[in-house]
Amino acid sequence: MPADYLPILFFAVVAVVLSAIAVLMPALFGPKRPTSVKLAPYESGKLPIGPARRRFSIQYYLYAVLFILFDVEIVFLFPWAVVFRDLAPRWLGLAEAAVFVLILLLGLAYVWKKGGLEWE
Amino acid sequence: MTVSQVVFILLSIAALGGALGVVFARNLFRAALALVLSFVGVAGFYVLLEAEFLAMVQILVYVGAIAILIIFAIMLSRRMMSSETQPWNEQWVGAVVVAAALFAALVFILSRVDWPATEAQVPADSISQLGQALVSPDFYVLPFEVASVLLLVALVGAVIIAREQ
Amino acid sequence: MEISLPTFDFLVVAPEIVVLITALLVMVVDMVIGREQKGRLAWVALVGVLAAGALSYYLWDGSDPALHDMLAADGYALFLNLAILVAAALAILFSLEYTGRVGLAQGEYYTLLLLSTAGMMLMAAAINLMTIFLALEILSISLYVLVGLNRAERRSAEAALKYFVLGAFASGFLLYGMALIYGQAGTTSLAGIRAAVQAGGEPSALLLVGLGLMIAGFGFKVALVPFQMWTPDVYQGAPTSVTAFMSVGAKVAGFAALGRVALYAFGDLQGDWRWVLAVLSALTMTVGNLAALRQANLKRMLAYSSIAHAGYALAGLAAGNAQGTSGLLFYLFAYAFMNAGAFAIIIAAGRFEGATGGGETLDDFAGLAARKPGLAVAMALFMLSLAGVPPLAGFLAKLYVFGAAVRGGLIWLAVFGVVNSVISAYYYLRVVVSMYMREGRPAAVPAPVCAGLQVGVALAAVAIVLLGLWPGPIVDLARVAALALLGG
Repeated sequence: MPADYLPILFFAVVAVVLSAIAVLMPALFGPKRPTSVKLAPYESGKLPIGPARRRFSIQYYLYAVLFILFDVEIVFLFPWAVVFRDLAPRWLGLAEAAVFVLILLLGLAYVWKKGGLEWE
Repeated sequence: MTVSQVVFILLSIAALGGALGVVFARNLFRAALALVLSFVGVAGFYVLLEAEFLAMVQILVYVGAIAILIIFAIMLSRRMMSSETQPWNEQWVGAVVVAAALFAALVFILSRVDWPATEAQVPADSISQLGQALVSPDFYVLPFEVASVLLLVALVGAVIIAREQ
Repeated sequence: MEISLPTFDFLVVAPEIVVLITALLVMVVDMVIGREQKGRLAWVALVGVLAAGALSYYLWDGSDPALHDMLAADGYALFLNLAILVAAALAILFSLEYTGRVGLAQGEYYTLLLLSTAGMMLMAAAINLMTIFLALEILSISLYVLVGLNRAERRSAEAALKYFVLGAFASGFLLYGMALIYGQAGTTSLAGIRAAVQAGGEPSALLLVGLGLMIAGFGFKVALVPFQMWTPDVYQGAPTSVTAFMSVGAKVAGFAALGRVALYAFGDLQGDWRWVLAVLSALTMTVGNLAALRQANLKRMLAYSSIAHAGYALAGLAAGNAQGTSGLLFYLFAYAFMNAGAFAIIIAAGRFEGATGGGETLDDFAGLAARKPGLAVAMALFMLSLAGVPPLAGFLAKLYVFGAAVRGGLIWLAVFGVVNSVISAYYYLRVVVSMYMREGRPAAVPAPVCAGLQVGVALAAVAIVLLGLWPGPIVDLARVAALALLGG
């Protein structure tokens, strides 16, 4: 029932209000005495090296694609896992999911072998 | 107006506003963020339609993964990241005409359609029913296995495209 | 609670499974063998394709089994399997030397070629919107990557990008159409949609709009005007062996699904879609032929010619009768040989020394008859067959589809087709004239042609002659296949 989602709605409202307060209050009331150090991008206390908007390695892209693919795999396996215990014969239910996973495992082995998982 | 109608309108504002943001944002990065808003709105529609699993998938895959991939892709190409792009070019008149014509045609047709509706209730345990359907040969076991082949093709393709030469 | 899972008959989809397993096998073998042994992958792939072809033929006992509303192993699917597997086998033979010469990664090349083949076969067998879409995506994504596989060539990457962006757009149209149809019919099964269409009364606007959007989506895959813009750039930019494969395979798969959706699911609405397809057919052949007249690059010319041929084949579908359907099937089968064969000659010509155009221009073919008489004869046969000169396969194919169009009351379409064939003869014969009547440049020294390619070209040439002179067996098969779809 959509009514079950009221807590989520409440949560979302609280999140928006809280973050709005956190952003607006300092902007309205905080003293502003900028120095070059204060204006530097925050890098966990270290001095920033190079521009923040530099080009990212293509490796990130490959990782993101792999993430999506296995994400989708989980989406398919999730409903299967919910009913797995009730399937009869159970080995057939297992075999069906095993074929699904094995085909993707082969893909993972392929990525590994081709060096797609190595960070250069 | 019922509560779900109010919620529907709010979600529509999110989904359509996000979509407009994607088209009109001058900065590609902001366009990608607007896309996330649109995705979330669509996830809300699924909840409203009592398709909870689909809503979860929408959040998990579209908001969680595809939006990230798009943002990565923008960050991979430096010029897109820093400079403003011009969403208009000399073909905008034609594009507007075509889009408006398609919109008018769809509205005209879809508003005259007598939409088939069913009285059936959405089952409470829709996920386990989905799970059954996925492995049952009477339903979707074949598309289920074929889907893994599709994922494999995408995997191999991604590695080939992303490989440094 | 216990959910019992009935077993199901794998044999129904055995050819598809064989191709899939071969693809996975190629992938595994590619991971374990050394760089210098990669050439053997082609043979693994070829064996798999031939085995699947043999299975498709032997499975054909007229029983037309279906796998739970998802896939059918009926005569229609098995006949188209044969056409697809012919294209795949020829493409593998043509790739033996070409992949090494151009520097394509062989493991990925053959894996994707086989996966794409499997996608095409699944699409020919699909009797559910869901399987149609999955199969289409498998074949499309493999082809996007195959088109861009040549990393040394900028045009290859450009072609891949164009194909991908426009292809994704077309998939969107297709999916939207499917969603509308599902909205009305309440099922994705083609049989269920057929029942919803037959339910009587005024045909629902949702179904008609959905069908229109699906025609647009398939029209992109088979390159119908006005969805053909990508074709010349993609066919030219892709590695030539990939062009040979996709120009046949993607068209066969697209027509297979379009035929099933239009003739079977929407068979009762023929009056609503026939005229659309007839107009598209006339437009497609005319635009394709007029553009082909002006091309100097042979790959581009053949791209436009393939657009024109999609128009001719569509005439068989627009006819809307059994003759038209079997004519379409025969057309696709004959087209597989003549079109793939023509691209093979371009692959061979790319090795000639002094071939300044990479074997792709008319000048490279000047005087070929004197230097390579065998190749020249084969190319002349392919060109004449594509032009529709009797007694070759291309002539009979056109005869069948135009004859069916006349029977279906589309006399104007048949006239259009004949006029177009006459126009097309000009650019096909120009190649023949160049080979036989013009002097080759003295620098142009013929290079030895790979044996596998020679075998493939010879097979294709013999096939189009045999299909022209002795079409009986294949025509009978096509007729049975058409009846499997239309019932009767």
